[in-house]
Amino acid sequence: MSEKVGIIAYGIYIPRNRITVDEIASIWGEDANEIKSQLQIFEKSVPFPDEDVATMAVEAARNAMKQWGGEAEKIGAIYVGSESHPYAVKPTATIVAAAIGAEGETTAADLEFACKAGTAGMQMCFGLIQSNMIKVGLAIGSDSSQAKPKDPLEYTAGAGSAAFLIGKQDIIAELEGTYSYTSDTPDFWRREGATFPSHGQRFTGMPAYFDHIIKATKGLLEKIDRKPEDYDYVTFHQPNTKFPLRVAKMLGFSKEQIENSLACKYVGNTYSASSMIGFAKILDEAQPGDKVLVTSYGSGAGSDAFSFKITENIEKIRSRSKTVQYYIENKRNISYGLYSRYKGILKV
Amino acid sequence: MSNEVYIIGTGQTKFGEFFNLNIGDLASEAVNKAIENAGIGKDEIRTLFIGSTVSNSLSQSSIGGICTRSCSLSSNAYRIESGNASGAAAFHHAFLSIKSGLYDVVAVLGIDKLSDYIQNGTIEKILASSIDYQWEYEMGATLTGLYSFLTQAHMEEYGTTLEQLAYIPTKNHQNGVLNPKAQYRYAIPLEKFLNAKRIADPIGRFDVATPCDGAAVVILASERYIENKKPHSYKVKILSSSAGSDTLALQHREKLTELKATRLAVNDAYNKAKISANDINVAEVHDSHPIGEILAIEDLGLVPKGEGGKATVEGLTALNGKITVNPSGGLKARGDPFGATGIAQLIEIVEQIRGNAGKRQVEDVKYGLTQNVMGTGVMSYVSILGRGDN
Amino acid sequence: MEPPKIWRERRERYLGIGIICEDCQKKNFPKTRICPDCGSENVKPYKIAERGTLKYFTQIMNTGDELIFNTPYIVGLVELEDGIKVTAQIVDCDFKELRKGMKLEKTFRVLARNGKEGLIKYGFKFRPI
Repeated sequence: MSEKVGIIAYGIYIPRNRITVDEIASIWGEDANEIKSQLQIFEKSVPFPDEDVATMAVEAARNAMKQWGGEAEKIGAIYVGSESHPYAVKPTATIVAAAIGAEGETTAADLEFACKAGTAGMQMCFGLIQSNMIKVGLAIGSDSSQAKPKDPLEYTAGAGSAAFLIGKQDIIAELEGTYSYTSDTPDFWRREGATFPSHGQRFTGMPAYFDHIIKATKGLLEKIDRKPEDYDYVTFHQPNTKFPLRVAKMLGFSKEQIENSLACKYVGNTYSASSMIGFAKILDEAQPGDKVLVTSYGSGAGSDAFSFKITENIEKIRSRSKTVQYYIENKRNISYGLYSRYKGILKV
Repeated sequence: MSNEVYIIGTGQTKFGEFFNLNIGDLASEAVNKAIENAGIGKDEIRTLFIGSTVSNSLSQSSIGGICTRSCSLSSNAYRIESGNASGAAAFHHAFLSIKSGLYDVVAVLGIDKLSDYIQNGTIEKILASSIDYQWEYEMGATLTGLYSFLTQAHMEEYGTTLEQLAYIPTKNHQNGVLNPKAQYRYAIPLEKFLNAKRIADPIGRFDVATPCDGAAVVILASERYIENKKPHSYKVKILSSSAGSDTLALQHREKLTELKATRLAVNDAYNKAKISANDINVAEVHDSHPIGEILAIEDLGLVPKGEGGKATVEGLTALNGKITVNPSGGLKARGDPFGATGIAQLIEIVEQIRGNAGKRQVEDVKYGLTQNVMGTGVMSYVSILGRGDN
Repeated sequence: MEPPKIWRERRERYLGIGIICEDCQKKNFPKTRICPDCGSENVKPYKIAERGTLKYFTQIMNTGDELIFNTPYIVGLVELEDGIKVTAQIVDCDFKELRKGMKLEKTFRVLARNGKEGLIKYGFKFRPI
């Protein structure tokens, strides 16, 4: 790689409401303890009725802007990845641009690739910067996912957003390499106009999540000549806690390398934001010189793997915005009744 | 001869929910009654000033032609809008048209038909048109929500209590029992107001005046006309009709403990009428929310500033108290067909001066005052009426 | 929820852009073409403060249909650190948790949705710090 490129700031957002697995299980007569031991998720985040993918993306982007301290006019690209954009036609990215004061000379687009649309945006920003087309890019993963009542997804489908500013100056996490793997795999989908997504049950596991993450991660390690033990931290897409723990083990990573990134235990699966929030949680504590591996997964299906090296700049920006832990702890629990009102399951 | 202006006739429908009547039906009843009361011919009316907030429907805002046809009038007619104070605004302009010497006889029709808007949220949206729609309503506030801020400010500054506030609608419902034109002719005990669910804390469910249907008409005439024609009705003199203004949004006001527009209007009204607050025997004021009446009686100078709640509890504003306030039952018990309210207030004062107020008659009325407010006080109209032989 | 109106107001609603008068130095929100205090045309854009304190607040139970989805919700009069006052919703807290004088910060939320098919209006609200 010719010139250094990397993350220059990041910010996340998670809505304040949580619903516990116990509360949902009690509605359907399920055994909450069994579900919790299977998924290793205890509660998930739920947006207020006046929140959506755009508002959460703006909150995350503003946190990133605050951490960065730079001028919004310098941002040359804004990508918002989501599978639950508020408009089917009309970009979320333009709303974000206006809300951070970055309207004008910039390119913007909404991306969709299930849970990896956010990392797809990161990759695009890296490319634009390395080719000197732009100076600073903003990649956001934001989702407020829907789950059909009683579907197993109902226990995990959460909401949240993560925003990464990418550039060449004042890099906090330098990109060492990226590698993607893609195949046409129908494990999870939502047709145009459908309210809830459908999925292939057990088919979402081995041929989908595991196969793509393993191939992308191995591909990257081989490409940049690294081994799992070279990394201080690793994180993967977190549809629940069990999957990333298992894929880490399959790839030869230890529990210690991945454990601290698993925000999903307390906020559920934040879809496009999931692996990015995991990465943000690592950045909240990583030290200069640490190496971090991140692999996303998006149904349909594909994985983007990234390798980063933390720089000394991370110390400077750390206190400037709210941590992932802040958002995990800033919560209130709601009943299934309020949950169904907030999610629009209860029609008014 | 001077250019004094007189009220020579009044007419009013009962206020309430009339699902079977349209705006023309309401207008013609009030207009015919007023013409009969004045003892004049329809052809003598030069202009019909219509005060209406909403008019016939959300689509027909030009209701002049509807009213002239349904009232069988050939005069010109136009609508004047000043939110919930549209009736008083129309009256003010009718007064000016005679004061200027342009016309000799005009009619003022205050009218609104609101019972069509029974579906959730419509009335709140209509009321939002008289607050800052963009920067209050669209931000989440409602008229009642903003009155809650006014209530809190007064409670904080002057120690006004919820109990004192509840005395206002309690008193006005007691008066409403005596008013045959009122929508609610029953008393409501103080506890019911105090124990009700808060709809915009500290404002309770029963504290707010109810939008309804109604029409009210006053006929104005010049001194020149009266000298020549001498209508049979006992004439009442308009001593002054004044207007004041304030900012539309509460956030742009220096303080929330007074209605500046009312203060400006009443100062002008007292000066023009050459009387003071001490001379007023009876007042009809804008009690859409309890704090509205407290602010009104204070800012009109009827009670010392900050003592509106205390004065009400002590009965100073009760029927035949030191100064009777809202003998008609006010907006609260009479019902509030927005545009008709300002005219109904004037009619009540005319009846009190004429000695025609029946069981709610205040003794020995020389001067009466009305105060009608738009929104949270952006516009306020004050009129002072006196005996015709003054 | 007219498209031109939503477009025209976006900088005010999203960013809180008001005006500052270069003659009398007074700050005002929402923006006006001339200074409401001194009448000068010499005004320039000014971004209102991000933080403020809660002056008055209430819980709204009834409102227009485009806002009803959110009831009960809290609306307050907020005095910002730069002295500007705004009316706005207070979110991320229960009514009972609120106190006069509480410190608040701006947040970005949905103000209203025009049914299932119309435009979405976004703007600022406040939350406790």
